[in-house]
Amino acid sequence: MTAFALAWRTARRYRARAVLAVVGVAVIGALNFDMLLLSHGLMLSFADLINSTGYDIRIAGGTGLALSRTPLDNSTALMNEIAALPQVEAVAAMRTADAVIGKGRGAQQAELIGSSDAGGLGIWKPVSGADLSAPPNGAVAPAVISRPLSDLLHLTPGAVFTLRARIGDSLSAMPAVSLRVAGVAEFPFESQQAAIVATTMEGFRAAHGGVLNDQATFMFARSRRSAGPDAAAAAINRLRPDVHAFSNEQVIANFGRNAFTYFRQISIVLSTTTGVFSFLLVATLLTVSVNQRLGEVAALRALGIARRRIAATLLWESALLVGIGGLFALPLGELLALVLDRILRGMPGLPSGLHFFVFEPRSLALHAAVLAATALVAAMYPVWLAVKLPIAQTLRQEVVS
Amino acid sequence: MTAAEIVVAKNLTRVFPMSAGPVTAVRDASLRMERGDYLAIGGPSGCGKSTLLHLLGCVDTPTSGTVTFEGRDVGALSDSERGRIRLTRIGFVFQRFFLLPMLTAWENIELPQSEAGVPAAGRRERTRALLEYVELSHRADHLPSQLSGGEMQRVAVARALANRPALLLADEPTGELDEETGEHIAALFDRVHADGTAIVLVTHNAALAARAKQRLAMRSGALEGGARDSGLDAR
Repeated sequence: MTAFALAWRTARRYRARAVLAVVGVAVIGALNFDMLLLSHGLMLSFADLINSTGYDIRIAGGTGLALSRTPLDNSTALMNEIAALPQVEAVAAMRTADAVIGKGRGAQQAELIGSSDAGGLGIWKPVSGADLSAPPNGAVAPAVISRPLSDLLHLTPGAVFTLRARIGDSLSAMPAVSLRVAGVAEFPFESQQAAIVATTMEGFRAAHGGVLNDQATFMFARSRRSAGPDAAAAAINRLRPDVHAFSNEQVIANFGRNAFTYFRQISIVLSTTTGVFSFLLVATLLTVSVNQRLGEVAALRALGIARRRIAATLLWESALLVGIGGLFALPLGELLALVLDRILRGMPGLPSGLHFFVFEPRSLALHAAVLAATALVAAMYPVWLAVKLPIAQTLRQEVVS
Repeated sequence: MTAAEIVVAKNLTRVFPMSAGPVTAVRDASLRMERGDYLAIGGPSGCGKSTLLHLLGCVDTPTSGTVTFEGRDVGALSDSERGRIRLTRIGFVFQRFFLLPMLTAWENIELPQSEAGVPAAGRRERTRALLEYVELSHRADHLPSQLSGGEMQRVAVARALANRPALLLADEPTGELDEETGEHIAALFDRVHADGTAIVLVTHNAALAARAKQRLAMRSGALEGGARDSGLDAR
């Protein structure tokens, strides 16, 4: 009979202990798995989000914080200059402003986005209707609105609504403009309940009374395949040292170094803690189990059963308990991750397309490695106890007791 | 050493260091067992019988004195070499049986053979024969928890005989059994002895001891009648 078979039979024989260990490891393992998903999840999700736009370079003002740069002046000229670079395939700009839809008590606050790319710069994903490429219907510019806004105001494609831009904290003297709903979309860079109205640059200008300075909040560029985003970003930075151009990879790396460090640290601390709990649980149960079977182990040694086989049996027993528990931990962890993700994504201001817990094969491999190490370390003391026990003394004590 | 010699113990002393002071469990005991011997050791509880048995069975080492097993000085052997002797040349029967509770009677008997590297076909044949020998063929697939005390001890005897040992050591083999069941076990030992296995048993059971060919008593760690003479001359 192999050591594995002996371990399996032992686990089946002491079923209550085995079930307790498996359930314990499953619960702790689920937490550990979630911590591993969390450690890189936000980074992966952010990278997915930023790479989904179809543009691989972001251009912002040269001063200000990473997330709130100063606007880009003379944006039309800048766009033309950047578009002329051989490394750049396409350029687009966007502007943002606060706005109010309707008036009186039913007025709804909204964020107004002006986009030079009718397809939406990849910052929205159509749910129904069309994008901004439809020609304006007279003075009525097309708009793509967010789903919460559509639900709230019952606006569907084809509907016309009025909007006034806000300047500062007060309603401006800007005239109300009419916009026609071309489509309803999800805006993954905005929070889940955000009321968004995206329109063309002409529509955005019209909302500001047709008088607007030539600024852009952000610009997006797409590099030519032959050049690559890093070279294109470097070319833009050389062309205009007063602006900052970042490839998506640079943006992700910057965020990884700064914004996501806390999540990584928290997940490392928590996954280490859960690993220690797994170890303590399995080590305690195995040690108690060996202590209950000292006479049995001593008798086996007296019969000539090698220490190696006894050690292998205990190692297999530990591996079985941790392994089965670890397998159950995966669906449990996934379920827990879904719930936690939903809670965390409910935080105000978070982009709706961002996820905290993202599965990747690396997390699964790490989960398996952590559990394997736990099984090995947890078995060490019980193994030592079993192989080092004095046979004669143990047999004598068993009889006396 | 003669060809018939199995184990020779010379001037064995075993002292256990205790917090209250050292305790001498075995004092200057000498013994020789040959093929065909059947020795019963009696004496009051705590007189050192089991300790002597452990020394003869290579599970413990003496504080002084020597044990020679089939011509090899046990004190000079490594732990794994002593383990190999226990596995292949010595059989142990314990008062509390110590069968593995998760294995069936068949599997308990097969385990030492598997450890000794006996091929599967040989194991099957030997296990079947041993179960017949102890009259438990019908209980082959039963777990120890499904067996009576007497049946468990018969399985333990079969397990001890699995690798055809030269010497069978039994420590109070009827200690946990009623008189009638103990009688069955005693009869089984008679058969084992008759089939050529030397036996040393430690027992309080006078009826069991009476069936042995040689009998010794221990008192305060010493074999009575003169330690040097006992094993050989008591025959």
